[in-house]
This record gives sequence, C-alpha cells and structure tokens, in this order.
Amino acid sequence: MTQDIEMEQRPTPSNSIATNSPSALQHLKDIASLVETGAYTREVRRIARAIRSTIQLRKNLTTSVLSAFLNFVLVPGSEVYSRLLSYLPKEDENDMEVDSATSSVQAPAKHSLPEIEIYCYLLVLIFLIDQKKYSEAKACSSASISRLKNLNRRTVDVLASRLYFYYSLSYELTGDLAELRGSLLALHRIATLRHDELGQETLLNLLLRNYLHYNLYDQAEKLRSKAPRFEAHSNQQFCRYLFYLGKIRTIQLEYTDAKESLLQASRKAPASALGFRVQCNKWAIIVRLLLGEIPERTVFMQKGMEKALRPYFELTNAVRIGDLELFKTVAEKFSITFSSDRTNNLIVRLRHNVIRTGVRNISISYSKISLADVAKKLRLDSPNPVADAESIVSKAIRDGAIDATLDHANGWIVSKETRDIYSTNEPQIAFNSRIAFCLNMHNEAVRALRFPPNSHKEKESAEKRRERHQQEQELAKHIAEEDDDEF
Amino acid sequence: MDTKITDVSQMFERFQAAFARKDYNTCTTLLSELKVLLTEFKSLPPLFQETPNNIRELTLARDIYEYAVVLSVKIEDQDTFERDFFQLKPYYTDSRGRLPPSAQEYPILGLNLLRLLVQNRIAEFHTELELLPPNALENPCIKHAVELEQSFMEGAYNRVLSARQTVPHETYVYFMDLLAKTVRDEIAGCSEKAYDSLSMKDARQMLLFSSDQELTEYINEEHPEWEIKNGFVFFQRSKDATPCKEIPSLQLINQTLSYARELERIV
Repeated sequence: MTQDIEMEQRPTPSNSIATNSPSALQHLKDIASLVETGAYTREVRRIARAIRSTIQLRKNLTTSVLSAFLNFVLVPGSEVYSRLLSYLPKEDENDMEVDSATSSVQAPAKHSLPEIEIYCYLLVLIFLIDQKKYSEAKACSSASISRLKNLNRRTVDVLASRLYFYYSLSYELTGDLAELRGSLLALHRIATLRHDELGQETLLNLLLRNYLHYNLYDQAEKLRSKAPRFEAHSNQQFCRYLFYLGKIRTIQLEYTDAKESLLQASRKAPASALGFRVQCNKWAIIVRLLLGEIPERTVFMQKGMEKALRPYFELTNAVRIGDLELFKTVAEKFSITFSSDRTNNLIVRLRHNVIRTGVRNISISYSKISLADVAKKLRLDSPNPVADAESIVSKAIRDGAIDATLDHANGWIVSKETRDIYSTNEPQIAFNSRIAFCLNMHNEAVRALRFPPNSHKEKESAEKRRERHQQEQELAKHIAEEDDDEF
Repeated sequence: MDTKITDVSQMFERFQAAFARKDYNTCTTLLSELKVLLTEFKSLPPLFQETPNNIRELTLARDIYEYAVVLSVKIEDQDTFERDFFQLKPYYTDSRGRLPPSAQEYPILGLNLLRLLVQNRIAEFHTELELLPPNALENPCIKHAVELEQSFMEGAYNRVLSARQTVPHETYVYFMDLLAKTVRDEIAGCSEKAYDSLSMKDARQMLLFSSDQELTEYINEEHPEWEIKNGFVFFQRSKDATPCKEIPSLQLINQTLSYARELERIV
C-alpha cells in the first residue's frame, strides 16, 4: 500500500531547482516569506503554493540547510526552536557556520508567526520521514499535533492538513496505525467544529485508510456514511476518498457503484501517481469481472502498468473463456500477488462468474444440449454432476444470464431463439439514456467551471460589501414579492 | 476485586451445570445476572483498564459470552445470537494481544457466517470474512461456511444440502436446517423460470418433499399461481418483452422536447 506516498513524490523539474545547498536555503527563505505574506493577507492560496514548492525541494534538504533555516526563521532559544533542532541528526559544524553567516546578511525575523512555526514542524517532519528516522518523526509529529490543537487560524488549516497526513504516515511506517485512531477521531471532531473542511477531508481519508488497513470495512462504512460531506477541496484527497469508497463498496457487493468510484479515482489521479492508479485499476478490473464485464485489452496495456497488471490479465482471460481449470491454475500461480494485494477473497468470489460465462458460451453455441454434456464441458468435479449442472443452469436462467428452457424428463437444455431486438422499444431506451448522459455531462462541465472569488473586480472594503449585500437582499425581497403577486 | 471474580466464577459454574443438563430456562436467567455482574469489571471492553486481574477477568468474560452464543443457538433465537455475538466480538478482535486465542473462536465465527448466510445478508458475510486472517480460511469451521456460500451463489444446491452431513460442529445443525428452507425457496424460484412444467414426482424430489401432500400444501401456500394438472405442475411464466405494437408517442414527444430544450441551452 504505497500508492499514497507515491502520490506525493512528483518528479521534480530539474531546471527550477539548483543543486547546491545554499540556494536550497534561499528557496526555503522565499517559501517562508510566501507563508508570511499569506498569513498577513489571509490568503490561503499562497500557503498552498508554499507547500507545493516545498515538496519540490524535498530531495535537496539536508540537516545543515534545515538547521540554518530554523535558525533564520525561528527565535533562537525559543521552545520550538530547541525542540525541532533536537530531532535533527547532528552533523559537522563547519557547514552550519557558513550557512548561518549567509543568513545573517538578511535581517532575521524576531517574532515567529504560528504559520511559520507549523511550517517548520512540517519541514522537519518531511525531512525525518525521508531520512527514514521514523521514531523521531513520530515524536515530532505528535508534538506538532498537540501544538496544532491550540491554534485556530484558517491560514494554518492548509499546513495542518499536510501535517495530519505525515502524522499518520509516520505511524503507518512503524506499524502502529491502530493506536492513532482515537487521536485522529478527536482531530476530525475539532476540524468539524472549526469548519476546517480541508482538514475534515484529509482526516476522514486517514481514518478510512486506518480502518481499511485492518480490514474493518464495517466501521469504515459507518464512519463514511455519517461524516459530513461537502464539495472536495483537494483533488488528491478526493481521489483517495473515491478509492476507499470503491473498496468498501466492493466488499459489500455493490459492484456497480464500486466500479464507478474506482474508475473515477483512477481517472482523476495525477499522471505521476502511478502506484495509486495501478492499485485502482487492479480493483476496478476485479469489480468489472464480478459484474460480468470483460475489461478491454487496452486497460492492461497502459504505460508502466503492464507488469503489475499481468496476473489480473491472465485472470481475466480465464474468466473470459469460462474455463474453471485455467481459473484455478491462475489463482494458484499468482496467489502471493493476490494475497499481498488483499484481493484473494474477491477472486474466490469470481468462481461463480467463471461458471456463468461457461454456461453462457454453451447456451450460445448449442440450440439443444444434454445436461450430462454441460457438466462435462464445465468440468464440474462433484459426485452428482448432472444434478449440479441442472441447478446451476436453472439459476443462470433465473438471473437472466441465459435465455433457455430446461427439460427435466429428457435431461436437456433448449436455448431460445434470439428475438429481433429492433422490434422492441429497447434500442430507443438505450439511445435515450446515452443522449441523457451526454447532456448531463455537458451541464456538469458548465457548472464545474470555477472562478476565483473577486478576481475580476477590485477588492471591496468591508463597508462596500455590506452595502452590496443589503442591496442584493432588497432585490431578492422584491423579486419574491413580485412572485407572490403573480400567483 | 477478588471476591467479585469468585462470585462470578461460582455463578458461571452453576450456569455450566445447568447448561450441561440442558436446563435452558435456568441458563437464561443466570446469564442475565452474569452479564450485570460483568459490567463491574473495569478491564473489559470498551475500557480495557489495566488491573491486576485483567487477564483472568477477560478470559472469564469471554468464556461467558461464548456460552451465551451457544445458548442462543440451543434456544433457537437468532436475535439473541446476534446481540451476544457482537458482545463477544471485541474479545476476539481487540484483545488479541492480551489473551491467548480461544479454542471456540473459529467455531463461533463460522457459526456467525452461517447465520448471515441463512438470513441472506451476503454483504455482511463478506465484510466479516475480510476480518479473518488468511490462515483462518483453512479452519474447517470457516471453510465450511465459505464453501457453502460459493455453492449457494453458483446454484449447486445439492452440495449445500449434502453439506449438512459434514457439519464441523453440532451447533451448526440448527442453522443448516434453516438453510435447507432457504434453499427450497431458491429452487422453487429457479424452477419457475427454467421449466415449463415438471411432473409431480420430479417436483417433489427437487423441492425435497417426502410426499405429494406436502408439495401440494407448499404450492398452495407459497406459489398459488402454479397450476397442478394431470400429475404435472405447470408454471405460469410471465411473458416478457413482447414486440411493441404501438409507438409510445407521448413519451417520444416528451423526450424530443427535452432534447430541444437542452440544445437551446448549449447553442
């Protein structure tokens, strides 16, 4: 389950990043000032941008750069400063002196904003995780979370949501995810009370992930259905949510909905998040097989996925042919892959789809066939194959998989002639549903066009805004009154 | 604290004695008293406090709830079964690190799977199944339930019925009997669609009745639309999707108008 981590690691464009450490420090300083202006002007977007550029810098972080940066932005001797510094591994002193010399050129900020403080926590945490110092990362993240609980500022929310993510990740990497659950639930409650939607979104996903890690699908579904929903703020979080939702629905046999969520998740995921998309595709393939669909060959040929999807390709092949023996061999051959993907139980469920496909193939090829032959063709290994074949076929008929009649006295199946579909209303209905889908898609696309608030006009003062609101309200009242008059 | 444990264990012994002589009424009353007493132990879920006797208390409570589940099967009460099972479940899931595994764990989990199957709650069946570790699937009790579900989904009802002979635990018989009834309804539903008619003899065999009398009663009760004539059962099959004679003009007009409206909005 590494897809989430991979989602964070974007390929860093090399030209934007200088390789030597002093300029990495310079970058960090730029980011810090970005955070600062964001905090002063209350513009969350600036802080979000700061985080994006931090992720790009990730590979260039070193202990010396970090300690120099902390030295620059935080008040030396303050509690945060000494605590954060204690997490960093010790390195040679020379490097540090050079850096602190450069930093003294600029006027060091004497006060530290909460945003900057939290940003430093985040930076150190990312660094510790990258250096695989998980126990320090755990300590650092716990400290940052307890600090966060006392902060109630909208500008911190973006930073906080990232911190939550790494908080959970550091515990997952050490395998202690279960003990985090209570704390995450408490954080989710706080975020809900503070109307921090991004935080809620992130925390909900972390909780779902936490539950699913231990296969607690029941709890996950209960939480998911009760948690408040709103329009997604972050695409990544939405993708994850869809993926978890798809998984839950698959387990609970709601295949149609599951397929929709899983496909949407894999389409919405950024192109660089390969691991995540592979995982989505694996689940989507199984769900489609369970639905009785056969995924197209192109699904398995997607760039970078051929190898990972190979077992699923062979599985699909077995289901498509309807060969029970082949299905068994494939399931055994790749059982290690399937159990590491935790899809083993789903594949067991596929068995009856294989039989169903076999029955359908037989019913299409023969207009009349004896049940003994059906049993032979399906290779049913049971003490009483004919009786089994009969009941299997009769269930297939009831479920609408094949259109045939059984003759018990003579022991054969008679397939019905396929009737002329164009004499019914069905083509008309199918055509209508497709048109409706296209129109709906267009409408949703129009609705989804988003405009940043107030980008087209000058900033209005608080007084002006109040005035405008008043006018609008009056107008609305007028319209309402007019409506009343009409009727 | 110790006196409480002794109290509970003594009462539990009385319960076990009553259970052994199949005095289920006494068992039920004793059990509700036991449950009240258990609420005083702080080491039990959901508190899980670390007390000096916590292992003993947990083990005792788990034994009591295991008996409660088995008792509910004996008195054939599915609702009680469900309640008791959910009370027992935390002892298996959340106390894994604290307690040595119980010998009864898999038989009871398998029993629960069977119950979900009987009640046709397949989604929950699979949710429970996911909670089990991979090696648990090898356990005969769990395997039994899993194989039953498979045969059930495939439609191989003979296999479901023959599985009654191979039950891994005596408590399973109750649910297997219930399952037989579910299977009969399923077979009836399938036959209705798959055959035009069946002779009385075949229908009787297929629906697992011992006499024609029972079959006739069953048909009158559950499927009054079936017809019995000259020793044959005729299924009234609903004729579906006949070629359309009329053009559904009103519907077409509505659709076309809505297309026009939508197009207007786009262009």
